[in-house]
Amino acid sequence: MSDLQIHIESVSKAIDEWLQPDNSELKKAIDRTVEEGLFSFQDIKHQILVLKSTLQKKNLEIWAERSGLEYNSLKHNHILCLHAGNLPLVGLQDLLAVVLAGGDYVGKISKKDPYLLPTLIKKLSAYDLIKEDQWSTDLSAFSGIPMNAVLFAGSKSSAKEVKSSLRSLNMIDDQTPTLMRIAHFSIAFIEGNDTQTMEDLTEAVFRYGGTGCRSVAIVVAPYHLDSEKCEFTDYVESFWLKNPQHQKPDESLFYRYAYNKALEIPQAWLNDFLIEEKLSHPKEKFLLYWIKGDFDTLSNLVTKYADGLQSVYSTSRYIGEKLEDYHIEPLSQAQAPPVWWKPDQIDTINWLQKKVAHH
Amino acid sequence: MKNPEKAIELIFDLSIPFEERCSKIFEFQSLFNSIYGRFIEPFGLKPTDKPDPQDIPLFPIRGFKDGRILIETDKEPDLIFKSSGTSNMSRSIHRILSRQIYEKAILEEFKKHFPFNEYIVLFHLPGYDQNPYSSLIWMANYLIKSDPSGSSQFVTRENLDELKFQFQNREKKILLFGAAFGLMDIIESGNFEPVEHLEILETGGMKTHRREMTKPELRHALSDGFDVATDNIHSEYGMCELLSQMYATGGEWFETPHWVQVSIRDPKNPSRICEPGEEGKIGIIDLANIHSCSFILTDDRGVMDHKGRFKVLGRWNPEDLRGCNFLIDHE
Repeated sequence: MSDLQIHIESVSKAIDEWLQPDNSELKKAIDRTVEEGLFSFQDIKHQILVLKSTLQKKNLEIWAERSGLEYNSLKHNHILCLHAGNLPLVGLQDLLAVVLAGGDYVGKISKKDPYLLPTLIKKLSAYDLIKEDQWSTDLSAFSGIPMNAVLFAGSKSSAKEVKSSLRSLNMIDDQTPTLMRIAHFSIAFIEGNDTQTMEDLTEAVFRYGGTGCRSVAIVVAPYHLDSEKCEFTDYVESFWLKNPQHQKPDESLFYRYAYNKALEIPQAWLNDFLIEEKLSHPKEKFLLYWIKGDFDTLSNLVTKYADGLQSVYSTSRYIGEKLEDYHIEPLSQAQAPPVWWKPDQIDTINWLQKKVAHH
Repeated sequence: MKNPEKAIELIFDLSIPFEERCSKIFEFQSLFNSIYGRFIEPFGLKPTDKPDPQDIPLFPIRGFKDGRILIETDKEPDLIFKSSGTSNMSRSIHRILSRQIYEKAILEEFKKHFPFNEYIVLFHLPGYDQNPYSSLIWMANYLIKSDPSGSSQFVTRENLDELKFQFQNREKKILLFGAAFGLMDIIESGNFEPVEHLEILETGGMKTHRREMTKPELRHALSDGFDVATDNIHSEYGMCELLSQMYATGGEWFETPHWVQVSIRDPKNPSRICEPGEEGKIGIIDLANIHSCSFILTDDRGVMDHKGRFKVLGRWNPEDLRGCNFLIDHE
């Protein structure tokens, strides 16, 4: 076995232990997260089940191969990961990228998700893969530590503020490589309304209240919303029975419903979510745009909204096809991505090695 | 109220309490503007209800881009205004059924602050003339026509150098009414010779200029550049979707005409009025919009003081966007 294989095995063992049903630390973290109302139990459970199936050793090896991972390529490099906290365990892939490449993970854990990720950090540190004290929910805890790279997700406007804060804390300078992901929504293209498609679409739109960048915000379908909304609403209600929506929209969404009604824009008002048949750049939460169209419509939308688009999903016939920079992914994987998925079409390990290790 | 004379009698009659004028226009628009009528339904309101002004739902301003916001009528609009923008952008369209109402709204408030017996008004509005549907250009033309002395006019950068010669022995003050970015261009082009008794009235924000400036930055730059005390730097707040304008004289705080009411609304819940000092979206009831929609929620960011005056702070940028978004403020 090569050093790299031994290293991956070690990471895999730590993850396996962390995901064991008898891991009391993780159980406590889940309970506390739910008790404090940070995320719903169902959303955390979903995330854990996804990680169980995607973080297997063979998948880590596939990622290593795809990304060109070299053993200890980031050794002695501090990589700052800023976790957004909008979904449970968001940014876990960044942590794994740094650990797999042998870098020093420095984690600014979100106050909106402060318990879950530290249990994995603790497990990784037990395997000497990470320093246990290199995380905090307070950014100033790392003041004065020069970072070799920064990974985070945000918008163009928030990036300015983030970089300015990091500079004032003497953590970065103008040369520090920064990987900022700005994509904030995904598109689905469906061709039919069979049960599997509609269930997958429901999961892709409504999981985590639709707040993730992999969540579908635009669906292109062969039907108008009005002809499909009763049936689709049934799927949504069934999903919500099992997965009550944890985050609720604010009152401005009701204003939007009233506005659509005024202008006779076709819509489905679900109280905690709004579906409308009108196209706009998806920025707002709890809103799905339904567009009647075909593959050409999808293609035009991908071109039009490339700035901000995370993923394009469809069902069997189109999976793997390329549209602009996007490989069409299975709709069923919208909320269960493989470990090697590329946020904003950039492989994190590959980027880190290019910008930090080989620089 | 479809009759302009009757509408003018109601809108501009200060002897009728604002609440009463507002209530009548709410009923009129709910009945005769089908879009606004449908808008109020989900709020459980009927045209015959007489809600207090603060309880009237404010219609999002983008409606002027998405719909034909006009009362039901066989009459063709007297005027059509469109917001500025490129061919790829959707533009607001405001159809004006009665130019008399617009003229009355423009002149009554402008003269209150800048009477023609005290001011010569010079309009420097580069760029706006590219938009044949500009409400600002129409307003400037109307004000020029309304100056009985005939001195008010449009000016270019070059005309400004001739001011001293053009208005020798003048007794009136000069009010330079300009788009903020155009005024900044004058300053940046250099060598503007100070003019006595000059006041500046800026409008239009910095949206097409090279860089964004805050209002205090802009005021100081104008004060330094034109050698005018900040007390004599004024602002106008208006838009194609509103028939009325508001003015801030000598500072950043805007006051409203008696037929306009401004409130600051919580962007997360536009039914809630923000406390003084709390930032939100600017909500406007403009009774002069009687034939389109008087109850408007803008996308501008503003704040109100305890005296009921308001400041315009720029555009409202939503913070809590979908997707992963690491925000320092929230962490």
